[in-house]
Amino acid sequence: MIFKDLVIIGGGPAGLSAAKIAAEAGVSCLIIERDPFLGGQLIKQTHMFFGSEKQYAKTRGLDIAKILIDDCLKHQDLIEIMTSTTVVGLYKDKVITTLHDDTYNKIKAKSIIVSTGASERFFAFENNDLPGVYGAGAVQTLMNVYGVKPADKVIMVGSGNIGLIVSYQLHQAGVKVLKVIEAASNIGGYKVHASKIRRIGIPIETRKTIKRAIGKDKVEQVEIVSLDDDWNIVDNSSEIIDVDAVCISVGLIPQRNLLSMIDIKTKFIKELGGIVPIINEDHQTSDKDVYVCGDVSGVEEASSAIVEGYYTGLIAARNLGKEHQDFKTLNIDYKNQLLNLRSGPFGKKTLKGLEIMKEDANVK
Amino acid sequence: MIKEDVIICRCEDITLKDITDLLDEGYQTFEEIKRILRIGMGACQGSTCISLLQREISNYHNIPIEKVETPKVRPLMTGVKLKSISEAYKNES
Amino acid sequence: MLNKTGVPSLSLIKTKFPEQNKLFKAKAITECYEEIPCNPCSTSCPFEAITIGEDINKLPVVDFDKCTGCGICVYSCPGLAIFTVALKKEKAIFKIPYELLPYPKVDETWKAVNRDGLVIGEAIIKKVILKPKQDRTLLVEVEVDKNLLYDFITIKE
Repeated sequence: MIFKDLVIIGGGPAGLSAAKIAAEAGVSCLIIERDPFLGGQLIKQTHMFFGSEKQYAKTRGLDIAKILIDDCLKHQDLIEIMTSTTVVGLYKDKVITTLHDDTYNKIKAKSIIVSTGASERFFAFENNDLPGVYGAGAVQTLMNVYGVKPADKVIMVGSGNIGLIVSYQLHQAGVKVLKVIEAASNIGGYKVHASKIRRIGIPIETRKTIKRAIGKDKVEQVEIVSLDDDWNIVDNSSEIIDVDAVCISVGLIPQRNLLSMIDIKTKFIKELGGIVPIINEDHQTSDKDVYVCGDVSGVEEASSAIVEGYYTGLIAARNLGKEHQDFKTLNIDYKNQLLNLRSGPFGKKTLKGLEIMKEDANVK
Repeated sequence: MIKEDVIICRCEDITLKDITDLLDEGYQTFEEIKRILRIGMGACQGSTCISLLQREISNYHNIPIEKVETPKVRPLMTGVKLKSISEAYKNES
Repeated sequence: MLNKTGVPSLSLIKTKFPEQNKLFKAKAITECYEEIPCNPCSTSCPFEAITIGEDINKLPVVDFDKCTGCGICVYSCPGLAIFTVALKKEKAIFKIPYELLPYPKVDETWKAVNRDGLVIGEAIIKKVILKPKQDRTLLVEVEVDKNLLYDFITIKE
């Protein structure tokens, strides 16, 4: 059994940021990452990020990952990193079991930060298991992490930021994106992303959805239909299009499996992406030694995940008896940054979700 | 829609028809359906199918989606060889 | 339109342009119509010509008297939503961000493209700039017909 003050599960933007600040405060921590690389989803984001300088705006996602990783490597005396290591079990006595290759290990922590992110939402349509039906994130991994061209001609289902960004990146990689379809009446993501792909010749069509994928052994065609304002299929609106892949980008779901193992109180809050842990202002869950930050506590942009990570690292360190020398300043600064990131129209959803959560947290 | 061709749980190969057949028979909860079909018990431990099945139950029984209980996730998250566990035990003792 | 297709209307586009008589020198046009948390245009401008303010969700406001048309904001905008334009006799000179292969070369004639992705004329490549600080976003100076002022947005080989 390994003993650690703070174990951070998930080495993405939230986890890395939490580790940095906790180590600055003098806490020895361990980051456990399932993938061979740290950085989470940032490593495949080739576009420049939004936000302000404090969240590394105008830096490309993959370079933000490098910055966050380097920040952790500066504290090698305090931050231990395990990559290619999956947390397979979480127990109420703060024992974490891990698997690395075939080696099973037990780790006992005083505090745990769960920053496991989110997974891609799947979508029910006919033949949705045909090879060639991809999650947009999977396509991004193939292209931008492993350098594999995923297809030649694709259709993107969903016009949130991920759908729009991945469409742009597919085009950059020489893949023909025939169109982006969106079931809602308006484009879901940032309009600057939408304009960017429209001008390079990718149409965005709202009130349309995929009815089925067609093909024998792999996707050869898709059937697209129009929807009316009540979400019913419009008669005779069917359109068959030749493609060799369908990208599904219909949202993300907080990855709360580990929290479920230790009976952390959760609630379905659709504004936050689904089932999320109920947390207090300090990002503590119903188990006060288990914290969450990043998409696992509500799906947002990576910039928010980074700030949440810093904030959670700061609080967890203080509660472990190591108060950061700039605690007061940073505490206010991170709260203001989050408020600032969420104060526009796109942040309304998150703020509403957090309000709903607060009602619950207060009752208990 | 050809329900046999709509996959809800990729790990355990459960289709929409498998689900609606059980709902037609009167099953109401995620837990019951899981026990019969193994939905959510495969390699990804429900990461993909939980939200889809939640929606199906919600639509079928006309209950708000937030009221559809989802099953507890239990260790282990992925397959672990018994040998690995026994070796970890040996090293410890 | 913008909400459904990603294409802003002409009247919306014109709100971002100064009077044409100010365009004897290059000016930055910020095609940012939606409040999102983002401010690199403002912080990157060495002349303090672009203001967003404390709330980074606010839309950028360009002071065209301060703007020198240097183009730093063009490659600093994460949304690739800024270009500069100047009018020279019968021509409009644009500086646009570009992130696709192949790279254009000086003196080549490419197609001028509008916000719908349609070809609307010719674009002569005047300069292709790629310095390390641009972080892999090309700055391309192109010359198009003056009457494409409100239509031109990018180039295509």
